[in-house]
Amino acid sequence: MYKLYTSAVELLDVAAEKYGERVAFRDAADEITFSGLQSLSRRLATALMKKTDTGRTRPVMVYMPKSIKSIVTFMGSMYAGSPYVPMDYAVPLARFSATAQNLCPTAVITDEAGKEKLDSLGLDAAVLVYDELIGCDADNSLIDTVLNTATDLDAAYIMYTSGSTGTPKGVTISHRAVLDYTKWLTDTFDITQDSVIGMQSAFHFDNSVFDMFAALFTGCTTVIIPEVLFMYPEKLFDFLDEEKISIIFWVPTVMISVANSGILSRKKLESLKLILFAGEVMPIRQLNEWIDNCPDCKFVNMYGPTEATDIVLYYVVDREFTAGETLPIGIPCANMKALILDADGKPCKKGEQGELCIGGSGISSGYWNSPEITERAFIQNPLNNKYCDRLYRTGDLVYEAEDGNIIFCGRADSQIKLRGNRIELGDIEAAAAAMDNIKNCCVMFSHETEEIFLFLETDAEIVQRKFNMELKKVLPAYMIPQKIVSMESFPHTPSGKIDRQLLKKQYITERND
Amino acid sequence: MTVTETISEFIRDKFDIGDDPDFTNDVHLFNEGFVDSFGAVEIIHFVEETYSIEITQKDITLFPMNTVEEIAAVVESKI
Repeated sequence: MYKLYTSAVELLDVAAEKYGERVAFRDAADEITFSGLQSLSRRLATALMKKTDTGRTRPVMVYMPKSIKSIVTFMGSMYAGSPYVPMDYAVPLARFSATAQNLCPTAVITDEAGKEKLDSLGLDAAVLVYDELIGCDADNSLIDTVLNTATDLDAAYIMYTSGSTGTPKGVTISHRAVLDYTKWLTDTFDITQDSVIGMQSAFHFDNSVFDMFAALFTGCTTVIIPEVLFMYPEKLFDFLDEEKISIIFWVPTVMISVANSGILSRKKLESLKLILFAGEVMPIRQLNEWIDNCPDCKFVNMYGPTEATDIVLYYVVDREFTAGETLPIGIPCANMKALILDADGKPCKKGEQGELCIGGSGISSGYWNSPEITERAFIQNPLNNKYCDRLYRTGDLVYEAEDGNIIFCGRADSQIKLRGNRIELGDIEAAAAAMDNIKNCCVMFSHETEEIFLFLETDAEIVQRKFNMELKKVLPAYMIPQKIVSMESFPHTPSGKIDRQLLKKQYITERND
Repeated sequence: MTVTETISEFIRDKFDIGDDPDFTNDVHLFNEGFVDSFGAVEIIHFVEETYSIEITQKDITLFPMNTVEEIAAVVESKI
């Protein structure tokens, strides 16, 4: 355990003292030094505390475009003693509303355009505009009082993920978890003040925890890559080169699209030294193309659900893999442990497949305001009845290989990963079922083509683009189905259930053959 | 044909848009579902080859290219 600090935002105070005028973050519009970030964040925290009732049980939603201003707001919330809750700026308002209903925030911090959108929701929280919060002087003694009364088990942030019944669930992560995780990662991979991190992750995904806090820990610079560049892999590659990015922590989807663009064989990246990836399975062919392009780079496959502060397991790629092999997800990082349990809660032997259950200081304290789903997902370690020892049931099926590395096999439920996004198929079903003229629906995922199929039972004529536009009003863009199949009535099994196997065979398998 | 017409015709053909009346020169190609993110690369390749220009990462970062008109404006600034 990394005991030096209590709150993750103390890292900013230390960084401001040690690295003062070095650039901490850069985005397309601006850059900010460590001391500049500290000063702005403390001013924002002071205004926030004057205008609202902040504290460990009073989260602050942040609804801003991905920018330095978002980081100021996260830090300011923590200085005020409140967990920050990063929201997707493109999230449909209905989903924002459902999230706010579960969260009960004390405030939402946004920009002028965001405030205009949110005003129609009639939220039971103060909606504050960023530019109006940074004008006041910082009350540092007030902030110090907050920090002195904080505990390391207070929530640093809450991140909302897809829920199987259509309601997002808020994963609550403590300051201790953030501190331990970032300390481990920066130490293990020798990240220094000369490093330059190229940030891909959106703030509402937890890879952003590394991108932000690694800079505070080490004094390095994190460059927020303009989101639009991820649509253009070759131009993205040029950006990495021109910005001399030395570390990336990306989802494999982005690495795959860069490899598939063919740029890796045409141009070398000299500055890149460390490539971390997590969020989904990395295919061997594209990984090898990256390794060929960056022979001096260290490549690390990482694994972790949002419920475990980003990363639990890691595997440093230490040999050549050939097509058909599976890249291990590796071994636990410091402060974390991994158990593989069978259906009876007994440990599996090496080679036996079971559910991955994880524990340690990075484990979430549960889902915000949701004790029932927390109780199902977080359990007492069945191998320990002596003291409280919580485990998170990941729902991921894995086995331990002979060399001790853990290998991922698949999911025990209908959760999928698509382009790094975690999606409960039930979330999409709930949204589609609520649309006009839909009698029934079901959603399936083709792992071969990485496409979401939405089957609709309806008498209405469905135009895919228009139906998807309706779905976009309630679902994030990454959950929108790639294929919609409509029919007047679904086939059924003898027991009366939707015959999913038949639908799969007729519309997914045969189409791919 | 103007640059705008050329780009519009390419997108209409390439992405099977047909005579959908919602497809206009100022419609947001990605938000409105006419083109997916993979299609964005194809549009850039098309204009780079057709007009022998290079759209740089800075162009993409600094100028919005979400509609036919916006793409045409960037292209016209380079030819």
